[in-house]
This record gives sequence, structure tokens and C-alpha cells, in this order.
Amino acid sequence: MHNEESRTDLGRIRIHKNVIASISSIASCEIDGVKRIGRDFKSGLLELAGKKSLSAIKITIDKNEDVKIEIPLVIKYGFNIPDIANRVQENVRSALEKMTNLSIKDININVQSIERG
Amino acid sequence: MRTFTVLGILFYTVVLVLIGLTLIIFSLNILPSQDINNLLLYMEYSPHSRIIIGLSGLLLILITFSFAQLILGKFQRERTIAFTTSSGQVTIALSAVEDLIRRLAGIIPEIKELRPDVIASKKGIIVDLRVVLKADANIPELTSRLQEITRAKIQEVLGIEEQIMIKIHVAKIISLEEKERKRRELEKEQPTIPFGGYGRV
Repeated sequence: MHNEESRTDLGRIRIHKNVIASISSIASCEIDGVKRIGRDFKSGLLELAGKKSLSAIKITIDKNEDVKIEIPLVIKYGFNIPDIANRVQENVRSALEKMTNLSIKDININVQSIERG
Repeated sequence: MRTFTVLGILFYTVVLVLIGLTLIIFSLNILPSQDINNLLLYMEYSPHSRIIIGLSGLLLILITFSFAQLILGKFQRERTIAFTTSSGQVTIALSAVEDLIRRLAGIIPEIKELRPDVIASKKGIIVDLRVVLKADANIPELTSRLQEITRAKIQEVLGIEEQIMIKIHVAKIISLEEKERKRRELEKEQPTIPFGGYGRV
């Protein structure tokens, strides 16, 4: 798995993609109106097998070290989707910039379904 | 990704052609049944060939799952409404919009069942509603109200300005008598326990 890497005087610091996914997941769930992070085929299978997985959030780091995040979401019924999506994007961006100093290119939200809160 | 799809299609074509050829050979009796029997016996008693066959089976299952995921994922991706914000793209699965509309059935008491089908086209969003109504419903008034509520809800929740076309198909009207008859039938189907009421306080 590709990691985000930076160098200091003492050595290099590598941030694993899972860390970025974890921060994104927590920051997304902080927003009122987000029911949970959605699933994809792989994470669904892992969950069936009893393993907790963050693989539903996809992280892509390009050659310029720009990070692209894809977050599948399940939204609570009765909330305005564009408003929630916008707030999630802002919260994820600020959390990642605060915690990792990464340059975030895109935060793409994929609303998978709507559930009762 | 496209290369993988092409490879997958080629793989399945080859596998299906091989199965077809095997069936033709078998039906024309080209291969003697003794040879097939010998081959099967060899595969049964040789541990190496059994391992190879088992691993091939596992590989086939894995390839099938990943190919199915690729195809289904592609279909799912296509069934979305998308818009862009300053931070990136937001896509909303049409199944999520269908979930949202399905919840409206709870708001209108005259609706017994509501099955939505949402299609996103260049003209706008087309919503096909298949409804089962209760007998006491005024259909023109109710359908008009349902169209208004659905349109308002989609615009409120999705925040889109696109044209929303709502088609309603009343599939069935359930009368109260029918409901009562179904309930009685259910009661008949459940056998009564002799002296079941005794002993209860």
C-alpha cells in the first residue's frame, strides 16, 4: 500500500493510507446527519467474516503527492444531502490538514443510501 | 480497468467455448468413455492433480467474484446523480433516492405499498412510482398530492433545480374486505391447539 511520506532532519515520516482513511471516517461521522460510512464489496465481505475494515474509503495519492479521497456515505433520512456532503468535505479537509499537513486535492462523496436515524 | 474487463470477457468466452466443445465431443461419442473414465480415475488417485484441480477451482471462484464486482460496481456507478462542490464531487446513488421516496409511504396513510424506480436522464430526473392503494382513497387527489410531496422532498433533500418528472402507476387497490378475508384465511391456516385456552390465567 502506498504511503504519504515526508522528510525531517531526523528521518522520514510515513503516513499509511489507513490512517488517512481512519481520520476521514471519524471526521465524516462527526457530522450530524451522517448515519455511517457505506460499504463496498470487499469491506462487506470482511465485515461478514467478522473483521472491521476501512477499505470502503478509497485513498489515492498521485505523483505530485496530492491526495484524493472517496468516501461512501449513508445519510440519515430527513437531512439535506448537498448540505451534509459539503459539511463532510469541509470537516474531512480540516481534520486531515490539521493532523497530517497533507495537500488534499479532492474529497469525493458517494451517497449510497438513506436510512432512518 | 478496461483491459481487465476485456481480459475477463475473453476468459469467460474461452471457458464457455471449452465447455461447449466438451459437450459436443461427448454427444458425438468422439472420445471413448473408457478414456474419460481413466482420466477421472487418474485425477482421483493422483494427489498432485487433485491439488491442482482444487486450486484451479479456487482461482475460478476468485476471478468470478472480482469480475462480478467490476461489472456490478460499474453499473452502480452509472446509476448516480452527481454535482461538484469546491472540495470535490458528490455522487448520490439513485437507490438512495429510491430509499428516500419509499419512506414517503409512511406519510400518506392511504398508500399501502410504494415501489419507486428513479432514472436520471439528460432531460432531468424521472421517477416511476408503482403504488398499491387502500380502497377509501380518492385516486386523482391522492396521486396529485403524492407527486407534489415527492417532487418537494427530492428538491428539498437533493437541492437540485433539474426537472423532476413523476409518473404514477396504481398497480392495485386493496379493499378492507379483502384485507379482512386475508386475515381470516391466515387464521384458518394456523391450526388451533385443542384445549389451548385452558390453564391460562
